[in-house]
Amino acid sequence: MIISRQKEFKEILRNLNEWNIFIIGCGKCAAKMRVGGEPEVIEMGKKLRRAGKNITGWTVLSSACSIPSWEDVLSCNPGVKKSDALLVMSCGGGVSAISRLAGITVYPALDTESLGGVCGDENLKELCGMCGECKVWIFGGICPISQCSKGLLNGPCGGAVDGKCEVDERSCAWDEIYKKLEKLGKLEYLEIIHEPKDHTKKERSGKV
Amino acid sequence: MNFGDKLLSGKFIITAEVSPPKGTDIEEMLKDASLVKDLTDAINVTDNQRALMRMSAQAACSLLRQEGYETIMHLTCRDRNRLALQSELLGASAMGIRNVLVMSGDHPVKGDHEGAKPVYDLDSVQLLGLIQKLNRGFDFSGNLLAGGTDFCTGAVTNTDTNELALIKLSKKIKMGASFIQTQAVFDTGKFCEFMDKIEPKHEGGRVKIIAGIIPLKSEKNAKFLNSNIAGVKIPEDIIHRMRTAKNPEACGMKIAADLINELRDMCDGVHIMPIGNHENTREILEMAGII
Repeated sequence: MIISRQKEFKEILRNLNEWNIFIIGCGKCAAKMRVGGEPEVIEMGKKLRRAGKNITGWTVLSSACSIPSWEDVLSCNPGVKKSDALLVMSCGGGVSAISRLAGITVYPALDTESLGGVCGDENLKELCGMCGECKVWIFGGICPISQCSKGLLNGPCGGAVDGKCEVDERSCAWDEIYKKLEKLGKLEYLEIIHEPKDHTKKERSGKV
Repeated sequence: MNFGDKLLSGKFIITAEVSPPKGTDIEEMLKDASLVKDLTDAINVTDNQRALMRMSAQAACSLLRQEGYETIMHLTCRDRNRLALQSELLGASAMGIRNVLVMSGDHPVKGDHEGAKPVYDLDSVQLLGLIQKLNRGFDFSGNLLAGGTDFCTGAVTNTDTNELALIKLSKKIKMGASFIQTQAVFDTGKFCEFMDKIEPKHEGGRVKIIAGIIPLKSEKNAKFLNSNIAGVKIPEDIIHRMRTAKNPEACGMKIAADLINELRDMCDGVHIMPIGNHENTREILEMAGII
């Protein structure tokens, strides 16, 4: 699950120079997160009309990042060809995929935050740091790369106050790792000294 | 005798913390250092502490060295990747800096450049391991150096520690820390418990424990430290003493001196971290009877 949030409407409007706009939502993560499914796409259309834009149509693709045929999208949505720009309400993956296929400017309506998940009705942010060398079992299934604000592999930093991370209100990831390993009877994993990450293991190791 | 030798000698160590300037004017820093000249075994020089941007610790240490001070250069993992950390360390070594204190470093959001990219390419345990490699004459990747380093390395810890923090501390010791400077101590009873807990971990006294001391200046001060500085827990009786004192600054000095006096038999040294400058440090150490 890709965790995204909607941009401020005024920012979307500031970016959108074009007049004729077609809106594309995403039926997967963005719909589940209620930031890019049908209700949000319809609401966005209303707001843009009120702001003076001409909405040539809208659709919610089953998955904005996985498009088997752009021709099919065009034939089902004649409004796309009448538009000067697309506004895509999906994660950056969807925006980039559509940008490759559409011959016009594609604007993101969302900001992508992290790779997370949903357990029951709880949305979970930053579950995976996409480091390319997963060892999450050693940390009781709680990835310190993404859950610890400093991505520390060998234990907590000492900055947490009353179990809260120094960066925000979240619990210290290392306290959670400790509790989980204790429950699993695997506290000895905490003694492992981890070497620095090999960043060449990431997809495109040069990216920042 | 240099700082490393003094650690081995069993002498009760006194260190004091000085901050590099926010700017290029080094006058205040030199003045502050001069207040503790001849009192201390080494001066700690901070590295963008609390993520507030200042002159580099390496440059400040070099300037202090020119004035005859022995320094302990702080080095955080926050601002540099493994290449920059090694360059910094080689540069420091070439400038005659022999002591390094390693820490993760406060997150950028705590400081005055909130939007900065946090680096943390290595953590403090890994950075200690890296320094051991440089000391053996090799870089991180195993390349032979044209001249290795000879650093005496230290690490930091809170003293109100749980099992997890103790495991991390023992990793730091395993990776070569030869001294540990602690967060400020205000409760010697709790500190004693901490020393008992780490006793099996600090290798029969090979690793020297230097207790942090912050002389309080006011009740407000104490409350600020309690709510804003992780690892600092000032007990209510000390806050009460500060509240009711006719002269809070003098009261804070007395508290610090009494703490130092008690800590003398519990650990291997004290590290003075004043709020503001070192104008009272000499008197505190005299009151404690250690100079």
